[in-house]
Amino acid sequence: MMSRATRWALAGAGTVGVVGVGRLVARRRRRHQPERQDGWYVVRRGITVDRPRDAVIGFWTDRERLDRALAEWATLERIDGDRWRCVAADPAGGGTAWQAEITVEGPGLLRWTVVDGPVRQEGRVELVDAPQDRGTEIRAELRYRSGPVRRAFGLVGGDEPDLALRDTLRRVKSLVECGQIIDTRRDPSGRSERQERATDKVREKLTTGGRA
Amino acid sequence: MRALCWEGVGKLAVRDVPEPRVRAAGDIIVKVRASSVCGSDLHLINGYLPAMREGDVMGHEFMGEVVETGPGVQRLRVGDRVVVGSVVACGGCWYCRTEQFSLCDNSNPQPVLTEKLWGHSPAGILGYSHAAGGYAGSHAEYIRVPFGDVGAFPVPDGVPDDAAVFASDAMPTGWMAADFCGLKGGEVVAVWGAGAVGQMAARSAQILGAERVIVIDRLPERLATAAARLGVETIDYARTDVLEALREMTAGRGPDACIEAVGMESHDVGPTYAYDRLKQSARLQSDRPTSVRQAIMACRKGGTVSIVGVYAGLVDKFPLGAAMNKALVLRMGQMHAQRYIPMLLDRLAAGEIDPGYLATHPLPLDQGVRGYELFEKKRDGCLRTVLHPVG
Ligand SMILES: NC(=O)c1ccc[n+]([C@@H]2O[C@H](COP(=O)([O-])OP(=O)(O)OC[C@H]3O[C@@H](n4cnc5c(N)ncnc54)[C@H](O)[C@@H]3O)[C@@H](O)[C@H]2O)c1
Ligand SMILES: [Zn+2]
Ligand SMILES: [Zn+2]
Repeated sequence: MMSRATRWALAGAGTVGVVGVGRLVARRRRRHQPERQDGWYVVRRGITVDRPRDAVIGFWTDRERLDRALAEWATLERIDGDRWRCVAADPAGGGTAWQAEITVEGPGLLRWTVVDGPVRQEGRVELVDAPQDRGTEIRAELRYRSGPVRRAFGLVGGDEPDLALRDTLRRVKSLVECGQIIDTRRDPSGRSERQERATDKVREKLTTGGRA
Repeated sequence: MRALCWEGVGKLAVRDVPEPRVRAAGDIIVKVRASSVCGSDLHLINGYLPAMREGDVMGHEFMGEVVETGPGVQRLRVGDRVVVGSVVACGGCWYCRTEQFSLCDNSNPQPVLTEKLWGHSPAGILGYSHAAGGYAGSHAEYIRVPFGDVGAFPVPDGVPDDAAVFASDAMPTGWMAADFCGLKGGEVVAVWGAGAVGQMAARSAQILGAERVIVIDRLPERLATAAARLGVETIDYARTDVLEALREMTAGRGPDACIEAVGMESHDVGPTYAYDRLKQSARLQSDRPTSVRQAIMACRKGGTVSIVGVYAGLVDKFPLGAAMNKALVLRMGQMHAQRYIPMLLDRLAAGEIDPGYLATHPLPLDQGVRGYELFEKKRDGCLRTVLHPVG
């Protein structure tokens, strides 16, 4: 039987993993600038999952589901007591890898720091019981830095990590609540290959960000 | 396979498209037997609902046979004759758990546009633009239905395809419209729109206890059909002052509940209509709300206005003052298909509701373009064209 802390660390790794820091780098959209604090960009997002807290944590300890959520691109390894190392490949491909250290700070609270990756980043996730039998609120805070060179290339800045964080929370919610993330790309259509590619771009825009 | 595709504003064509595959454990593939046109399609075809893409397969009101099931499907078997709700619902979120299926949190994978437009994204809908998830529709030989166990229901033996098909959309929408009215028995209910949705709303209101139902439209065949099939009273809004007539018919009170089953392309006579059309075509307002305005003005003090006609954005000259000062209850929404379909299939099998007469124009899929023309222009007494991909 896994301890609660262990299960919770797995949950966090799942969350961090699905965020896929590498993925943030590929996004180039800028609408509003996020809040800044001591040189860090800070975004906070939350989502409500219609399951009790233990079920949200427990979801990630189901090996099969965890594998499905993390695909084959993330591994989790224990450093000591409350610290874990998560190594992940960029889910968007391209061979980028990053490494995060996850610290379990209490039941339902953990932090992570990316120790090796394209973007300096740290964050925390907290699980809170939602009122009125509405399940669990997953509240996430993400802090990241963006150096002048990266900014010049438009690689990081604006609200990209925010959009990715929202994507992630939505994906986690969907996986927990219905075991899958719906995909309608390449459903039957009368489109030519060229039209399909243009439509994929529209789909991407309509998918990125979203909720939370 | 053959499919009826959207090709641009006002343009449709039958094309060869790839067949769908099972992509997730809960998916089923349905071989379509009957697929109906719906008033909502007109809003999509005419570009009033956003985010259609060239090549999108149309159609969301349909029934057929299960030919393949994903490994996670438990309730259905290959060979089942099923009717499928237009709205996609995951079955696992809070909205699904509380039977508000058209508000499902997880069935629209492309929620960004509707979140911007409306603050939150409701459920995805099959064959209903990229704002509603970008699902391929049912005017095709086969369709993939996600969450098959949640959204598809076996049709009782003896109920013909061309009646069962309306349990997908028109019947649950009409039922929900009447359900919203909170009828206790003995009420007078007015229904704007004598299309399939309005007629099913009228029938549902009768079943739920309304003593009198009054249907409003301008198309004489539709009004005559409603009167003959359902025994309702009718008003032709092109020849009669509707507000005056309703006041008269209720000895000054006004109807207890008003159902709006017309939607954003509402038609009217007189100068306000010209103004609305102009603003809509210049995209200064997205919707023409004629019948909603009328329903609010007509409704008795403290009554209910139930809106199931589809609106997408902003309207002009909305009589908020009338609604506020008359203490009206406003209810509205996309229908919660999965909540009503099993009950409606029982009533269908028992002969309590018989929607078969709505299928005025059964046609092969290959004649889909003509089918929509008949429906849009309301030619030849067309209430619903029902397309048949096979045979
Ligand atoms: N809420 C839902 O879930 C849901 C589901 C299905 C359809 N709908 C909507 O319901 C509406 C009706 O659908 P339908 O398939 O019956 O469409 P339809 O086009 O067959 O019928 C609409 C009817 O409204 C009449 N009409 C137009 N202007 C009017 C006015 N000012 N007053 C009275 N009648 C007027 C038309 O003559 C026509 O007979 C559409 O807006 C459709 O999008 C909603
Ligand atoms: Zn419809
Ligand atoms: Zn749901």
